[in-house]
Parts: sequence; structure tokens; C-alpha cells
Amino acid sequence: MSTTLRDPREIIREEPMMHSPILWALRAGPLTVPEIAEHIGEPANEVLFWVMGMRRYGHVVEVEDPTDEGYFRYASVHQEATS
Amino acid sequence: MDSEVATQTDYDVMVIGSGIGGMESSIKLADMGHKVLLVEKEASVGGRMILLSKVFPTLDCASCISGPKMSSTINHPNITTKNYSEVLGIERDALGLFHAKVRENPTFVDWAACTGCAKCEVACSVAVPDQFNYNLVARRAAYIAFPQAVPKKAVIQRAGTSPCIDTCPAGIKAHGYVSLIRSGKYEEAFQLILEATPLVGTLGRACYAPCESECSRGDLEAAIPIRRLKRFVADRHYDELGDAGIERPAPNGKSVAIVGSGPAGLTAAWQLARIGYQVRILEAEAQAGGFLRHALPTYRLPQEVVEQDIANVTGIGVEIVTSTTVNDLEALKAEGYDAVLLATGTPLATSLGVPGEESDGVLTGLDYLRQVSLGEAPDLTGKRVVIVGGGNVAMDTARTARRLGALEVKVAYRRGREEMPAHVAEVDDAEKEGVNFEFLVAPVSVVAGAGGKVEGLRCQKMVLGQPDASGRRRPEPVAGSEFVIPCEAVFSAIGMAPDTTPFKGLTGVANGSRITVDPTTLQTEVPYLFAAGDVTSGASDITRAVGAGRRAAFSIDNFIQGRSLGIFPALDDLLGVVDKTEVMARQTNYSDREPIVAGTTFSPAPSTFGELEPAMTEAEARAGAGGCMDCGVCSECQECVKACPADAINFDQREKTTDFTVGAVVVSTGYKLFAADLKPEYGYGTYANVITGTQMDRLLAPTRPFNTILRPGDGKVPDRIAYVSCTGSRDKTSGNPLCSKVCCMYSVKQNQLIMGSLPLADVTMHYMDIRAAGKRYNEFYEQSKDMGATYIKGRVAKITEKDNGDLILRYEDIENGGQIVEAEYDLVVLAVGIQPNRDVEKLFTGEKLGLDEYFYVAEPDGDLDPGRTDIPGVFVAGTSAGAKDIVDTILHAGAAVAQVAAHLEAAHIHDVKTMQITAEVPA
Repeated sequence: MSTTLRDPREIIREEPMMHSPILWALRAGPLTVPEIAEHIGEPANEVLFWVMGMRRYGHVVEVEDPTDEGYFRYASVHQEATS
Repeated sequence: MDSEVATQTDYDVMVIGSGIGGMESSIKLADMGHKVLLVEKEASVGGRMILLSKVFPTLDCASCISGPKMSSTINHPNITTKNYSEVLGIERDALGLFHAKVRENPTFVDWAACTGCAKCEVACSVAVPDQFNYNLVARRAAYIAFPQAVPKKAVIQRAGTSPCIDTCPAGIKAHGYVSLIRSGKYEEAFQLILEATPLVGTLGRACYAPCESECSRGDLEAAIPIRRLKRFVADRHYDELGDAGIERPAPNGKSVAIVGSGPAGLTAAWQLARIGYQVRILEAEAQAGGFLRHALPTYRLPQEVVEQDIANVTGIGVEIVTSTTVNDLEALKAEGYDAVLLATGTPLATSLGVPGEESDGVLTGLDYLRQVSLGEAPDLTGKRVVIVGGGNVAMDTARTARRLGALEVKVAYRRGREEMPAHVAEVDDAEKEGVNFEFLVAPVSVVAGAGGKVEGLRCQKMVLGQPDASGRRRPEPVAGSEFVIPCEAVFSAIGMAPDTTPFKGLTGVANGSRITVDPTTLQTEVPYLFAAGDVTSGASDITRAVGAGRRAAFSIDNFIQGRSLGIFPALDDLLGVVDKTEVMARQTNYSDREPIVAGTTFSPAPSTFGELEPAMTEAEARAGAGGCMDCGVCSECQECVKACPADAINFDQREKTTDFTVGAVVVSTGYKLFAADLKPEYGYGTYANVITGTQMDRLLAPTRPFNTILRPGDGKVPDRIAYVSCTGSRDKTSGNPLCSKVCCMYSVKQNQLIMGSLPLADVTMHYMDIRAAGKRYNEFYEQSKDMGATYIKGRVAKITEKDNGDLILRYEDIENGGQIVEAEYDLVVLAVGIQPNRDVEKLFTGEKLGLDEYFYVAEPDGDLDPGRTDIPGVFVAGTSAGAKDIVDTILHAGAAVAQVAAHLEAAHIHDVKTMQITAEVPA
């Protein structure tokens, strides 16, 4: 884990830009934050900001219970709606 | 002293701050019959309490307690609430009355119409940290403070006009379309630009982008590529959709004639046609576009782009009649038009005015470029060409000549490179394409040989003297310095002027070669006649012409509809531009971004007219737009306007400052939280999984920012959670020796709530000593231990982070021999202390509100006279006077209320509108 954190304002400002890559990563199914981070090549702490922003505004939703490792999986709402 | 003074107050009391102390004070005073003015800086009343999960020790829901009080506050007939407002200053007069200046900040939402549906928020393209969730999650620039907000009304956060918008002569909302592109809303971005002008593709290529010069990002690695982003959305739109996608509006029965089809005329036509006018453009050339088509080379602006942009205009019903010269504007008006707009530009090139100018091979740059655009250019193969002049037309002429086979192209300019009026990029690009420059030379005569053909240009050398009226240093000839530049062609590009033919017969209209207009309305002395663009200003640039076209259309509409002509709000009534220093100060650090550069390839011997600058890829566009710093916060993208079903968004709102006279003041401005990053040994702001107690309270609240308690580093549900008490309180090293009184108990409360939410989690609190001095507080603490929370006495010295984000706490275990221990946790919560809100120091003018040695509002006799400050008539309620929990805050507010009531009674202040002060006014 990086010990150099970017300013939250800077991370959050990028949220609209990150919707597409995150939704693209979720096209095959729900993923945890670390899994999304690996897919899109960004730090997990930043992905959490983006996923929670997307959750707040109805783009993703958590899927029931957490994994054995303690992570929730998040699914694209858009995909849910069309599947 | 007895006095009888007839005067008026607006309110009996002004309460500043609507936290639990301010609300309690307001409600109690209002219940007593006093008229209360409550001023709150946020959009909702409620302060911090409404953001809590539960309250200790009862574990009652904070919202359930606070919500009814918020509702009572807003709806009480004796309370007037000014939300989203600030007290600018309060002054006490000789009678003991207070004169307060209150600024109501614009919400840009008509609250009477807003239903709180939050559709604006969902549509908004700007994400900012949510201060009501202590920055754990994003909100939008358009937002409702929190789900239980009272009133539940939206606010659009605008810090001012973004510099890119402020500086655009066309009033194009650059920040808006950049933020839309960042969001992947490319068509919306195109449509936003269309609001200003149909020339989206043109400006995406040929604008000199003053927006980029002012871009705040330019103070870091590089400006946002705003112009190229415009081209990106234009190209994408035309590739995918073709026409503008605008339906023809219903005709309004009025008609306008526009003379000239350059950027000003086309933009004006577009704006007028969109609101129902029948518009006819009369163009002297065989093709529409003016200089866009006949002066700008296609390697900069392809003809098909101009045609696509013009098709936007004709697509909504504008008729363009070409090959039609207008010499009589009165006759044109007599054809039945309701108004006429002259937008003929500067089609006449200034001659060199030197002997030999009539020689074969001498041409103006404008004529040459026009001939090239028509496919009628003279053959320059193998010829040496001299271009006289230093402007953009000279650069276009020179680069075009290079493409048409000229052996050598030399630009002769009478001043130096620094003084050239051409844009720096144009000069640099010309040089890259093999154009040579001869600076500080002026033409004396054209040298012609047999048959009158050009053989050279006789010049003399110049030196720069004192600055002239333009501010540039005046060139002065050097005696005896004449020389000849051998050449076969000479193109003059030393200036352009309007053609006065259409208006020279109209009285009071001509001003030399230009037409005189009111600069605000663009109306001439002849009421039906308006003029826009270079014909009024002389040669300028496309973007200014676009702005003038917009302005003219606005004025023409007002004129025809019988409204008064005045300022053009889209250009003349912007919010003040944001201070870049303030923008930069919003972040503690900035990461480097890779600039998105055009990567244009230049040939030293160019031979084609294909577009030089490559288009952006989608990835480049998103990355380029992603660097935008949202200077104005709101980007003015207009998505909220489109989304609002109540039509409540109103960008015309402006701040309003009002003076109020009140009989007493209650200061209830609350506290500030200790900034946890001031304890670097705990790693807040450095380690993602170190959070504050207030952040944890949000994670525990029903309206939490995450779906449950997650650690911010990676979204894991934490199993091992540690609390570090007294972070920033009882700590002289951080400047706060006082106990904050609430940290122990809110930590214990959270311990219990966590164990309820995460039954398998281990919760450990590292404390100095537990302060549980309140009714049932100690029992609450014991209950927490019984539930399984662990309490370790000993100060935490340091926190370090493992690669997986787990945290190592190093501490002294006092109750187990004082050994140094290290323990590992998933998540660490810093129980941050509270500190005085020193904003109170700025409230009063003329006299200072006394503070105690810790900078809380002083109560000179606090033990026996709580709530009274050292200014007669000014009282303090709640944590403004010192750290308190909610119970004590309410009690203290009650004391302040009693003090206020006594003061008002003593001063006989009852009837606010016809108040008579007949009393001994306290000194």
C-alpha cells in the first residue's frame, strides 16, 4: 500500500472520469475494491473514493455479504438493469 | 440614565449559528414571544449534531432528537432563518442596539420552487469532497447538504467564475464543456458550446484560446488543452450525428437581415433563428464563411469543418444568399426586415504605399489567400517571396506560399520578433516550416525589371525608438541603410480595414473606416441598424467576433420586442473571477500529470494543405479534461438546469447584503475540530486507514457514506479497530492543554455501536484516563467493557503502516508494567479534540468580543452569570464558550436565553416594529 496519499480533493475530482473504466471492469460481474483497483491499475484507497461516490449516485451497488476476506463486491447498476 | 428614544429594531435577538445551542436558544426565545433572526452559514440548520450517529449515553438516534428541533426552528412563527448566510459585522450603538450586516450568499436555486428531489445533484458534473461526511466521499457542486437537511433545498456551490470562462470573449463556458468531457458526456459538451455559437469545429481549431492562457492548471505542469477538447467534441458530433440536433423553433413573425457571413454574422444568425426569427444572411462572396473560408488556410481550418459549422445555421432555417453585395442599408431595411445587422468584417487590405506597388508580382496577403481558397492562386514554383507585415495574415500568407512551391519565403517586419502582433505559436510554426524572418526592416519601394515584373523589394533598416500609442516601440529609419531583398513576388499584409460602402451614406454612423456602435448594445445611431465584429473594432479575432455576434443578437431581440437595450448578461454580468491563489490553496499537495500535447509534425518544406494538428483520441480527451481543477467549483455545464423538473436553477442570483438592527446577540458558532494531521506521528492524511472519530461517527450513522463500516484504504470490513484518545486535546504540544470533554464518551459510544454492527470485530481503546463525569456516563463505560471492548491505559507514541495497509501502534502499557508494546490493527480511529472557533473574533466591529486564555468566548463571571459576555447585550451559548457535550450545550443555551430575556426586559425591547426604548440602557 502506498504511503503517499494524494489530496482527497484531487482524487474525488477525478471520480466522473473514472466511471467508465470502473463500469468497464464490472462488465463481467461484481468485484471488490482491491479487484477493481487491480483491473484499472489505480490505488485501492482511491478506487474506494470513486466506488463510494458512484454508489451514492446510483451507478454501483454492493452485493449482499462480504467475501471471506472481508470485502464487499460491487456491481454496476446499469448492467443489472439491462441484464 | 433614563431616556426615551423612538427607534426601530428589526428583531429582538440575532442568534448566530444553528447548531443545537443556536436552535435551542432561538426556539426558547421565540417561545417567549421574542422575534429572532437566526443566521446560519450552511444551507441547512442543525450544525454538527445532526451528523452524529447516536448520542451518549442513551444511544438515542441523533437525527431523531435533532430533526424535530430543526423543523421547529425553521417553522417557528417568531424565528426568521437566514441560511447560507454570514454575519459580516456587528456594531453596537450608543443606545445599546446592535447593527448587523448580513450577507445572504446566492444558492443559485430558487428555494421557493425547489422540491429537494436532488435531480440536479445526480446530473452535476463536478465532484467535490463532502464536508458533511468529513471528506470520506464525494458530493456534487450541486447538492443538498444531507438527507435530513432542513430546509431540504439544493445549493449550487460557486466560488466565482472560472478563469477560462471569464476570459473568453465569446462567453463560452469552457469549464462546463471540459467537465462534461471528463464525465464522458461528449454530445452534451458539444451542445453547451452550441449555446454560444454554431462554429464549434472552427473554434476548436482556429481560436487562440485565451482560456488556456488563464487556466490555473497552467501554474502546475501545463494548461488544460481546452481548444483541442472543443475540436474533439465537434469532430465526434459531426462524425456521429451530422447536424446540430436542434429543432427549428416556431417562427415569431419577425425578420432580421444580416450582411456578412463571417463568425459574427453566423453567430448572430444562429442566436436569432433559435428564438424564432426569420434570418437572411447576405454574403458578397460566392460562398459563405467570410475569412473563415477565404483567409484561413485549410491546414489550420479545413473547408469541410467550416461547412459543417455553417450547416448548423442553415439547418435551423437561416437563409444564406451569396454573391449579393449590399450597398444601401436603408433600402435593405425597406424590404421589410425588423432590424439589420452589419457584420462585413475587414475585407480591404491596406496597401504598401510605396513606389512600384503596381508591379506584376505584388499582391495583398488577403487577396492571395482568397485566390488560394478559390483555387485561383498564382504559381509560385521556384520563386522567392517577401511578405511584408508581422500579423497572423502575414504568417498564413507565408506558410501558404511555402506550400505552393515558393523557393524562399521571407517575412519582412519593421519591428522585432517580440513586437510582432501575430500569435507566438503562429510565428513559431511558420519558422518550423522554413519561413525566414527579416526584422527591423521597412519597405521603401518595389524594384521592377523589364516588363514590370517584380525583381526585389527595396528596404531600409529600422531601430526601435520610444513606445507609440499602441505601447509598442516605434520603428525609426536608419539613414543610409537601404538594401534590396531579391524576390519575384511581394505580398503585403500590413493591415485590414472595413468596406465603408454600405454605411457611408448614413448620418452619424461612420467613424473613419469603421462603423460606430454603442459598445454595450452594438446599436448604431440608426435604431434598426446594429453592427458586430471587425467592422466596428477593426481586425481582431474569430472569438471576439463570435462574442460580438451573440451580443448583437441579444440586443436585436430586445429592440424588436420593444424591451430596453442594456448589458448582455452572458458577457457583462458574470460572477467575479475566482482568485487562483484560493484555487491552489484548496489542496495540500498536487500530483504531477502528464500534459496532453498536440504532437503536430511540421515539415521544413510543406507541400500539402491537409490539417496539421492531429485530433485527440478519446483517451487523450478524457485525460486532458481530467486535469481540470474546477476553479469556480460549479462548471456551469447546465446539466442541473436541464435536470430540474421545477425549473428552479437560477444562475442570475447574486449575493444580497442587508443591515439589521437587533436588541441582543447570541453567539452560538460552535467549535472547530482539531486537525489530526498536526499529529504526524499518528499518520492521519498519510495512512489511508487512520481516520478521525467524527469520520467514524459518519460511518456509523444511518446516512453513512459507505455501505457499512469499511476501512478507507481498500474497502475491507475491519476486524481490529483501535481508538487513540486525546488526539489534539490535553496536549500542550498541539497547543490545546484542555480536555475536550466529549472524546472519551463519543469513543465509548462508537465502541458499542461498532460491536453492534460488527459483532466479530475487536475494539481497543488506548487512553490516558477515561473521563466519564456525567449522569450514567461511567455506567456507559462499564457497559462497553462488559460488551467486550478493551481499554488500554497508555499514550500511543507512533503509528506505522504495513504494506497491506494494516497499522502498527506502538504504546506504553501502563497497567501492565509500563512495557513498550506494538499491536496490529486494521483501522485506527483518532479521537480528535475540539477547539475554539476563532471566527467569532471577526464578528464585532468597534469593540472586541473578549476571549479567554484558550480563545473561547469569555464569560467574565461564568460561574454565576453563565452566557453573559463582556459586551452588554451579547451572550454566548454552547461550545463557543468552551468544550461541552450536547446536554451541557442545551443547558448553557438555556442560561443564555435567560440572560437575553432579562436584558431585553431591562431594555424594554418587546415590539420589534414599533419599539420604544424607555429604559436605562446598560452601559
